Amino acid sequence: MLELSLMEEKISQIKNQYSEEISKAQSLKELDEIFLKLFGKSGEITLLPKDFKDLSSDEKKIIGPLFNKLKAELEEAVGNRRQVVREESYSKLSEEKFDLNSKAEIKKRTGHLHPLTIFEKKIADLFGKLGFQQFEGPQIDTDLNNFELLNIPPHHPARDMWDTLYLANSGQGTGDRLLLRTHTSNSQIHIMKKYKPPIRMMIIGRCFRYEAVDARHEHTFDQFEIVLVGKKISMANLQYLSEYFLKAMLGEDIKARLSPGYYPFTEPSAHIFGTCVFCKGKGCNVCGKTGELELAGAGMIHPKVLENCGIDSKEYSGIAWGVGPARMAMLKYGIDDLRLFNSGDLKFLQGIKNEG
Amino acid sequence: MKVSINWLKELVDIKDIKEVIRLLPLRTIALREVTDNYFELDMKGYNRADLLSLRGVAREIAAITNSKIKYDADLPAPDYHLPEAVEIAQVEDYKFCPTYCLAKVEELKVSPSKPEVIKKLNDCGIRSINNLADVTNLMMLEFGQPMHAFDGDKVKGQISVRSAKKGEKLLTLDGKIRELNVEDLVIADESGPIGLAGVMGGKETEVTDSTKTILLEAAIFDPITTRKTAQRHHLPSEASKRFQHGLSKLNLLQALTQALWIYEEMGGKVTTLSLEDVKDFSDQEKVIMLTLEKVNSLMGIDISAKDVEKYLTILGFHLRGVGSNSWEVEVPSWRLDIDIEVDLIEEIARMYGYEKIPAKELESEVPEKIDQSLPDFLYNLKKSLADIGLTEVQTYSFFSTQTLQSLGFNESNREKALKVVNPISSETEYLRTFIWPNLIEVVAKNIRAGFKQSLPSGEGKNIAIFELGKIYQPGPKESYRLAIALMNDTDNPIEELLVILNEVRDLLRMQVTPGSMMKELETLFHPKRYANIEANQKVIGGLAEVHPRFLNQFGIDKRVAILEISIESIIESLHE
Repeated sequence: MLELSLMEEKISQIKNQYSEEISKAQSLKELDEIFLKLFGKSGEITLLPKDFKDLSSDEKKIIGPLFNKLKAELEEAVGNRRQVVREESYSKLSEEKFDLNSKAEIKKRTGHLHPLTIFEKKIADLFGKLGFQQFEGPQIDTDLNNFELLNIPPHHPARDMWDTLYLANSGQGTGDRLLLRTHTSNSQIHIMKKYKPPIRMMIIGRCFRYEAVDARHEHTFDQFEIVLVGKKISMANLQYLSEYFLKAMLGEDIKARLSPGYYPFTEPSAHIFGTCVFCKGKGCNVCGKTGELELAGAGMIHPKVLENCGIDSKEYSGIAWGVGPARMAMLKYGIDDLRLFNSGDLKFLQGIKNEG
Repeated sequence: MKVSINWLKELVDIKDIKEVIRLLPLRTIALREVTDNYFELDMKGYNRADLLSLRGVAREIAAITNSKIKYDADLPAPDYHLPEAVEIAQVEDYKFCPTYCLAKVEELKVSPSKPEVIKKLNDCGIRSINNLADVTNLMMLEFGQPMHAFDGDKVKGQISVRSAKKGEKLLTLDGKIRELNVEDLVIADESGPIGLAGVMGGKETEVTDSTKTILLEAAIFDPITTRKTAQRHHLPSEASKRFQHGLSKLNLLQALTQALWIYEEMGGKVTTLSLEDVKDFSDQEKVIMLTLEKVNSLMGIDISAKDVEKYLTILGFHLRGVGSNSWEVEVPSWRLDIDIEVDLIEEIARMYGYEKIPAKELESEVPEKIDQSLPDFLYNLKKSLADIGLTEVQTYSFFSTQTLQSLGFNESNREKALKVVNPISSETEYLRTFIWPNLIEVVAKNIRAGFKQSLPSGEGKNIAIFELGKIYQPGPKESYRLAIALMNDTDNPIEELLVILNEVRDLLRMQVTPGSMMKELETLFHPKRYANIEANQKVIGGLAEVHPRFLNQFGIDKRVAILEISIESIIESLHE
């Protein structure tokens, strides 16, 4: 019993001593020191349970709750005092000044552009050389522009391809319902309604999907798309653009191959494969032994889409061609996690070499 | 769509399965998976209804590998001489159910399916139930025509196909009670709904071990009604997928005939068949005009008239020459995806081989020039900031729940931000109305991750970041903003930020002026350290030291200064 009363006394002594220290602390630094003295590796509270080992189990039942109470009270006291000290320091903020004529020096740092900025600039310059111009399309758009005029009517099975985020308090079910664009293809409609053929435009920007995020999926991502409308635009041109792009971005030894695919707004539609950048076509784990990677999607703009925008599909044809800049950057830099792009992780962002 | 390789071999002459696997992605569709037992077609969002059946896949493979199909494609309609034509089903509105057939088969006995049937189903990703129910799934897989078997002894009176009535409920096969919507199409007997048309059958009329009589349903339901019902009740099923893609009458008739043969082989007697006039079973004929000129101009190559005819004929199209080098093309009933000339050109292109189309440079057309000053401006601004030593970040277009809370968003002021009606989680519910709070989150995250940018002078914990992106406001309105956050390990980061801003002053055409703090920002910013950013006597943004209390909520105990500028006015002036 002697042991027990000694313990009880010790607990009450710690409580009194530190409660007072805490209440007198004037700075966060002091409080940090007190916290360490209590809860650090060799803090008093941390080490205290060692003294209980000789107690009987009945005694432990008495001392246990006392100890837990002490721990909780002191933790709370430190937290509360921190709050008070902070608020006191906040009240002193009004004594601080801001010199609008300050000649402070800019510290020497190495700046970095975001990898997508670097890549998108490259892509834009590349197609700029072929006469493509950048068009600024809206990220918030109507169901009409994002789907219906692109030949994707409401309740069409093809809608399964785009899980969509809709905005509240907008039109219901009909074309005026607002959404976050699921692809840059909404801009095809804006472009073709605004300009007459020949058209050579490109769109770069953020798109959104209802998607659970993991290393390969993002709900927020960039797309790059070109829209080409003119007389006698053909699948052979599509092959040319695909080769032109892949060789410039990934290397002269990359071959582009078109393969059948389906998009409601293009007909014929194509998936574009390029020689695997890792194995150069020999077959590896990344490309699933096929020697190729699927890199872009494209097609001949569907006559209905042309007509929806007031362009005569008998006279004109067009190409829509799109790629994910993040995927390109991942291949180029060997990045394995899509989430890094929106993470703000400076170790990642500053590890990318500036090529802008 | 998972395709059993053994089953496929019963339907088409396959000499070399490796060649089939090689050609399918080149000519038809990408493959998701290939195993020894099956391969899976990547059908997500795809429009080829015919590829949702083994017969369709067999037909496609016969065309691309130049081999023969082994099944009788001209299987006749059922020829039953029944004692009496009894009306056992009634359709309320043919708009929602253009075709409805019901056959009564008696004297059946439930048993497990034969091992070869079980394997066929398993290879196609479907679980075997019993011999009677498995027939419906076999037919769905082989023909693409979904079927349903009701226990005939549990159905009361005549069957009707009608819209659900308000308040009606149905216990579906998966054991869940479904509250029906008046837009749901149901199969009902005299006691009420016994199935959700095209989506799922009812539990109470399910085929069980004691079933002796079945009512076999083969129908075509309206794709949109089926899709809406499947979505409303969160019941995406193999059957509803096929109804959504569309079905053809001839195919239905063939599938039904085959199903009845199989039931008869099991000892069943077909006693009643409710079938509309067989003459009405012809599918609507589609004829499309095709010219060689269009084929060649869209493909960009010179393909011969003979090749056009060869490719389309092998796919089941019938061509009638009209003048020179143009045709009337009759579309086979199973190609519901083919409507216009370019659809045919895609068929020709893939049979020719997409990969063989040569590259052709763009001809020199001169498009109308549009103003490129915005993208140029955005890039130059980013480049200048990076040159000064800042790192560009990109953050989500949303406010996180932590940010919303720290900014003091509550019921009264939430309407200031655009809301997503179906957010993935509460982290994507509100669109950002500022960028700088997201930069504070980035600062906090990097501190937590132990990030240190040590400067040559030896100082650590330096974070100098910017984002150039869009904010979103009710209207809706989206506009570009520049935001910078600076944590420079001093107690007064705003003065360095001011100097940084002055470095790009010319680009931004702005100046910094003393300003008064907006009331609602008082709790967010330092009481003395803030200023306005003006252009053309208009406030376009501000810079401020963030209030330590705000930073503390993110676990930051260093001083951080931020600025945010609307660059709309700059962009407008660029256009002038």
